[in-house]
Amino acid sequence: MSENLLDKVMAESGQPLNLCYQCRKCSVGCPMVDEFDFPPNMVMRMVQLGMKDELLKSKAIWMCVSCETCGSRCPNEIRIAPVMDSLRAQCLAEGVTPADPVTVALHTSFVDSIKTFGRVHEATMLMKYKLKSKKYTSDLDVGLKLFLKGKIPIMPKKSKNVAKVKEIFKNAGI
Amino acid sequence: MKYPYFPGCTLYTKAKKLDDAGRECSLKLGFELDELKDWTCCGATFPLVNDQHITMSGPTRILADTKDQGNDKLVTLCSVCFNVLKRTNNVMRTDEERRTKVTDFIERDYNGEVEVLHYLQVLRDEIGFDVLKEKVVKPLTGLKVACYYGCLLLRPVKEIGLDVMENPTIFEDFISALGAEPVEFPYKIECCGAFQAVHSMDIATRCSRDILNSAKNSAADLVITTCPLCQFNLDDRQPEIQKSDNRFAPIPVVYFTQMLALALDLPAADLGFERNLIDPLPLLKEKGLVS
Repeated sequence: MSENLLDKVMAESGQPLNLCYQCRKCSVGCPMVDEFDFPPNMVMRMVQLGMKDELLKSKAIWMCVSCETCGSRCPNEIRIAPVMDSLRAQCLAEGVTPADPVTVALHTSFVDSIKTFGRVHEATMLMKYKLKSKKYTSDLDVGLKLFLKGKIPIMPKKSKNVAKVKEIFKNAGI
Repeated sequence: MKYPYFPGCTLYTKAKKLDDAGRECSLKLGFELDELKDWTCCGATFPLVNDQHITMSGPTRILADTKDQGNDKLVTLCSVCFNVLKRTNNVMRTDEERRTKVTDFIERDYNGEVEVLHYLQVLRDEIGFDVLKEKVVKPLTGLKVACYYGCLLLRPVKEIGLDVMENPTIFEDFISALGAEPVEFPYKIECCGAFQAVHSMDIATRCSRDILNSAKNSAADLVITTCPLCQFNLDDRQPEIQKSDNRFAPIPVVYFTQMLALALDLPAADLGFERNLIDPLPLLKEKGLVS
């Protein structure tokens, strides 16, 4: 239990979570709800009740793709995507093992690609992702198809500004 | 008229044809997409929590470069880049505290002077769909099109401001101007599963199946999109959908600029249709739109 969870999430997300009255419109329209362990309306209630441990360990916070459908439909104008972002950040900051480390591996591989080339290069990014997520052979057919159709160039095209990008990452301590 | 243009990473690789067709069509319509010099990735993610600033450094640098290269507008074709640049620009315009943090960090002076536009907005608001209609050389007559918006082109509606939330029409108005017939289908603003496709293809397969079936139930011949990731999911997942539903007939999913190019009579051989998994050419030949 944490008394401050609601305040913290409200401050970080800028969303009026205390207004949620459980109409469930968010969960009805959520394209990812089948993958969630707790549907979005329940996540809202759990934040109100301060159920921090359960939330930071949940799969729901990692399966949300920030499509913003729920937030656009909420009668009280509560956007849930920023709420999920706040919970994801807390999960990583507090060293909790993410329920879905694979999504975390994807995000870090993406950032690494920008750091290296200044731009995203799909082939090297996905290779790194495979190593991090240990999903070595899955979807190889998809990658091969894209490659054969000329959609994945082998050589990365660097931005001329890559030095500046590296400097920004360095200054940010990333 | 020249419009400063930010292609974005994917339009240099996987979505090259979204980019090529967009550039060529602009010339036919009397404007030019002038690529921003030495651009970097937009980050593809807009920070949703208030104390996160680093992800805005990329898009802010791009916007500051646009301004410093003497421009007051920036056009994008990719839904993701559009979403990130537009929302970052809103923060630069309205939130002094966050703006100061980001611009101090990247040591640039920027206050939201640039206006971020999607290519569709240029067609609607600057060229005009009525003028576009007059410039069409080969109307897409007899083609029933499902206009798929997805998420990032529209939402959050208050920040993006391209169209309304539940029943937007900019895409339908666009395809109507080209002479095609837009179909009404309820899943036009549903999510395709986005990046979870990398994590689990099953998620993208389920989302794509629902969207494509919705389009097909409305008698669509073809789906158009502005987003490289939506195009990938909707096109690439179809063999998998067929494995679990043998009644599922494939439907081509193409970029909106490819259809624009066809209507402006650019050679079909240059439009990269062969890169699509579900080949649109048999359909386009049947409709007499490609010889």
